[in-house]
Amino acid sequence: MLDRSKIVGSPVSRIDGPLKVTGAAKYAAEHFEPGMLFGHVALATIAAGRILAIDTRAAERLQGVVKIYTHENRPKAAYRDSKWKDAVALPGHPFRPLENDRVLFDGQPVAFVVAETPEAARDAAGLIHVHYAAETPNTHIVAEQHNSYEPPVARMKQFLPPPPRGDAEAAFAAAPHKVSADYVLPGEHHNPMELFAATVRFEDEGRLTIQDKTQGSQNSRDYVCGVFGLDPDKVIVKNDFVGGAFGQALRPKHHLFLAVMASLDLSRSMKVEMTRREMFYLSWRPSCVQTVSLAADDEGYLQAVLHHAVHTTSRHEDYQENVANWSGLAYKCDNVKISYELVKLDLATPGDMRAPGAASGVAALETAMDELACEVGIDPLELRVRNFVHRDQNQDKAITSKALHACYREGAERFGWVARSPTPRSMRDGNDLVGWGMAGGIWEAMMSKGEAKVRLSADGHVTVSAAASDIGTGTYTILGQLAAEVFDCPIDAVTVDIGRSNLPKTGVEGGSWTAATTGSAVQAAAKAVVKTLLGHAQSMENSPLAEASEEQVEISEGRLVLEANHQVGTAIADIMAAAGLDAVEEQAKVGPDILSMRRYAAYSHSAVFVEVKIDEELGVVRVTRVVSAVAAGRILNAKTARSQILGGVVMGIGMALHEEGLIDHRTGRIMNHNLAEYHVPAHADIHDIDVIFVEEQDQRASPIGVKGLGEIGIVGVAAAVSNAIFHATGKRIRNLPITIDKILESEAVQ
Amino acid sequence: MAAPKIRSELRFILNGQDVSLRDVAPDHTLLDWLRLSKLLKGTKEGCAEGDCGACTVLVGRLTPSGGLVYEGVNACIRFMGSLDGCHVVTVEHVAARDGKLHPVQQAMVDYHGSQCGFCTPGFVMSLYALWMQTPNPTDQQIETALQGNLCRCTGYEPILRAARAISSYGGTEKDPLLVERDAMIARLKALKDGARVEIGEGKSRFVVPASLDDFAAVLEASTTATVVAGSTDVGLWVTKHMRDISPVVFIAGLDELKSISVAGDTVTIGAGVTYTEALKTLANHVPALGPLIERIGGQQVRNMGTIGGNIANGSPIGDTPPALIALDATLTLRKGSERRTIRLEDYFIAYGKQDRQPGEFVEAVHVPAPAAGEKFAVYKVTKRRDEDITASLGAFRLSLSADGTVTGITIAYGGMAATPKRAFAVEKALLGQKWTEATVEVAMEKYAEDYTPLTDMRATAEYRALVAKNLLLRFYTETTSGAATAQVSRYEAA
Repeated sequence: MLDRSKIVGSPVSRIDGPLKVTGAAKYAAEHFEPGMLFGHVALATIAAGRILAIDTRAAERLQGVVKIYTHENRPKAAYRDSKWKDAVALPGHPFRPLENDRVLFDGQPVAFVVAETPEAARDAAGLIHVHYAAETPNTHIVAEQHNSYEPPVARMKQFLPPPPRGDAEAAFAAAPHKVSADYVLPGEHHNPMELFAATVRFEDEGRLTIQDKTQGSQNSRDYVCGVFGLDPDKVIVKNDFVGGAFGQALRPKHHLFLAVMASLDLSRSMKVEMTRREMFYLSWRPSCVQTVSLAADDEGYLQAVLHHAVHTTSRHEDYQENVANWSGLAYKCDNVKISYELVKLDLATPGDMRAPGAASGVAALETAMDELACEVGIDPLELRVRNFVHRDQNQDKAITSKALHACYREGAERFGWVARSPTPRSMRDGNDLVGWGMAGGIWEAMMSKGEAKVRLSADGHVTVSAAASDIGTGTYTILGQLAAEVFDCPIDAVTVDIGRSNLPKTGVEGGSWTAATTGSAVQAAAKAVVKTLLGHAQSMENSPLAEASEEQVEISEGRLVLEANHQVGTAIADIMAAAGLDAVEEQAKVGPDILSMRRYAAYSHSAVFVEVKIDEELGVVRVTRVVSAVAAGRILNAKTARSQILGGVVMGIGMALHEEGLIDHRTGRIMNHNLAEYHVPAHADIHDIDVIFVEEQDQRASPIGVKGLGEIGIVGVAAAVSNAIFHATGKRIRNLPITIDKILESEAVQ
Repeated sequence: MAAPKIRSELRFILNGQDVSLRDVAPDHTLLDWLRLSKLLKGTKEGCAEGDCGACTVLVGRLTPSGGLVYEGVNACIRFMGSLDGCHVVTVEHVAARDGKLHPVQQAMVDYHGSQCGFCTPGFVMSLYALWMQTPNPTDQQIETALQGNLCRCTGYEPILRAARAISSYGGTEKDPLLVERDAMIARLKALKDGARVEIGEGKSRFVVPASLDDFAAVLEASTTATVVAGSTDVGLWVTKHMRDISPVVFIAGLDELKSISVAGDTVTIGAGVTYTEALKTLANHVPALGPLIERIGGQQVRNMGTIGGNIANGSPIGDTPPALIALDATLTLRKGSERRTIRLEDYFIAYGKQDRQPGEFVEAVHVPAPAAGEKFAVYKVTKRRDEDITASLGAFRLSLSADGTVTGITIAYGGMAATPKRAFAVEKALLGQKWTEATVEVAMEKYAEDYTPLTDMRATAEYRALVAKNLLLRFYTETTSGAATAQVSRYEAA
């Protein structure tokens, strides 16, 4: 028989791989409908002000143009904000495309051209002339941070700072060793490889089938139904394949609104595909200014932690993420004060980007920890080991599991940390300075409510269905594995049907909770199928399983058998035949264990070790080695899991060295809205990256023992790179990204 | 010269199928045609400017010597008009007809080289091109082949591992494109009828000249036409700036502009020679140019872009002009049947302004090798190691007398001024002096007289001013350390 441990946990190749390498996987823009029209958006060229007039005459004259929409002729949509709020909406007023003459940010849609061909739509958009009354924009977080405020309405309770504990200021003042500094992070842009797009098929009786680039088909469906007053039973949103998202596709974007609007208005099928440039005006990781103050005694034990974080939001919404709270729970400390505020700027509303909040906040905390280690004069890894805590002091809760010591130990050993010379500038390789740095990472292990349906056919074929999304993470594959495990069948015998809004309900794919949530739902539904089968088996005459309970049976080689004795059992086909069935289907619903959540908090953890080599005369840095040791509960698939961490590490290297939305603050406009000037790491930037998953058993974090892997890979990486650069050069650069000019122009500390 | 036959039909082969088109706009891109007209959506659009490589397809073309070479190119900035007589291969044509995955594809699946899958077809095509020519590549060859492909999910390493493993899934001897090579050569030769292709009317017209003489005649008669060789720059005028480039003359297919010849110490490169084609000869001739060329764009850009185009467009951050100026290269410009030869340095007059008359074109560039005993180095500095636009690029050529006196020095930079520009004040401070650190330090102060660099997205003015000096210091260190001139433009893995 198949060894079950070889299905779940093994490096099964992703089941959607062949479709992807042949180009057969179809993404949102790649569905064609007969007679469809094409839309193209004209973007604002100011960051703040009003539209005085829009001249569309030249555009309208272009052959093939069907209609041009502006705020002056946009069809009606919902009046109340509540109708515009999607499942992950924010406090404030959701953005409404073409609503009025206000321009709130550079790149805001100001007109929408619909034409018979995409070329005509694009050309016409270029012929639209907008006259503005421009106002002076404020887009500089550092210049505007004096206008910061505490968000009056919390997006989520856990984003609020914990109450202060102890007396952080007094403890800081009294401690023998202290560091305090400001850390400035730029805005970042997700830049998934796929461009945002929606294809709307306009059908009879007002039915719509929409292919959307989204991390949640049901979220997109509910949004368009709310905004346009549509019957949810008549709208299906699909997202079979999503070409990366990293959080940018959590909330519905203007392409979806405009495509559906025009489709309804013109009674035609529609397609809207964004340009790469347009994607820079959607949700983004907010620019962020943080002050972190740490104090320790002579042995390095933390005496005080103060963390103040301010990040950008838009004029119309209060985007919030958990930036600073990590500083109150990552290490043991009894004197903690955390504060968190927003600044309104003339920019698009920021959004969740891979490890939102933690990527920024832990970057500051873990750089400060490195500075503290230097100040106290102990090894930065040892400082962290000494301050280990197995309790969430913010919430005063136990932790479900925290194998962080194993991350420290196994990571350091693999990296060879023991050979590190503590003094900055003391390690060289030829002409290059060499630096070794490390940092810790942490992310919440979340589970949400979710449902899944599992169907077992008499011939042994299994179908798993849920409205979940696979944004490149491997959802198709792990759901298939989990079902195959229960039914003891090869993964080829499982069909995974996801990416459609009319399947069992699941939340958006984000926050690393899909595996835990939908995975648990699939396992629960599969077990329900087994239970039902057992009931049918027990209805058979002389059933060998007559006395068995559901805990005592399992499926093996196509038979329902006693776990303790596989000789005793009945073939699935026979059970179904006797019951007159050709399949058994069950749906299950899972959710977080509320009782457990009152007592326990769940987190994934990591330790990241980085080596850099630096050509100091030119300021050129290479990240030559990374070891990321991760404790994230049970690993369902060694291949997809490892790749999640690799991708996170590489995005962290980008955060440290490359990624930065550059704004011309005189005009409030983004300058580098393309992949030539917004740098993401390229192949040659990436050298040796080693991923370690340490052993961690945790049945409290989720029923299947999974904590999620989408976020933890990036957390701490930027700090580890920054700390390594300090170790190499003696230069502490506290504003990311650490570009060639910053390295060359900074002074080494003595 | 007898006027050539005129054909108003573009002819090429897509995958297995003959294509002939009469209705093609001058700025119609291959990517739009594939996705919108042919509904071949395996080829993706990720950036529409040749940065991300998601649109990579193979273009096979006959070489002047009668062979057939397949190269990865960016379909998003490749114009249809440049495909006459070519074989275009998309990702849909890679797996066997029975659905069996190609070794490149199977390796990508097994090593988890695909996550969200959007960049994947582009990676498959780049790896396919590499594997056809180099079935067992080194890591460095893999990295070079993949410079022009961005991935945001995998962290690249799984793709590298897939690339190493391809040959374990099957040898090139069974590869359909290689098996059918002779038949394809015959089919492509049959398309070569010696005609000039003219499609469209008036301003919205494009021409594929029949020969070099025909090109000269066409351009003289239509002096406002945009000459397009590799389209790695002009492609962006269309996709990003929405510029109307018509009428257009496509010259990528002109064999006569693809000649590379060596006479004495000088290499002459036709204006239609791509970076890829020039690499071997130039690197043999002037070793420092090899690593420089390998850091221009990605492989797809180097397969399309030409040194002639890099010069002709006169960009202040073009990578080859400073190096070629330091080598005292010359240009042959041609108008009709008239030719003139000028120093490359004199070609660049001001920002956006070159010494090129209406109807005139760059025909060839002549690159002299450094004389025996001369030292030459070129350093490209960028924010990102690969696929990045230059922040500062310095090129140095030095000759010393027996007693260590500087008897000749030429220094040119890119990214420091509105044109590629010599550092005359620095040169003057060095010439006739002993080549010592003290001399170099005095000369470093003279950069302020030569350049007033700008602050932009790539670097600050202060950085540029400082790194310009440091590059001279580096050149000094490398020329005096006894070692052969090291190349900062190439990093070896640790």
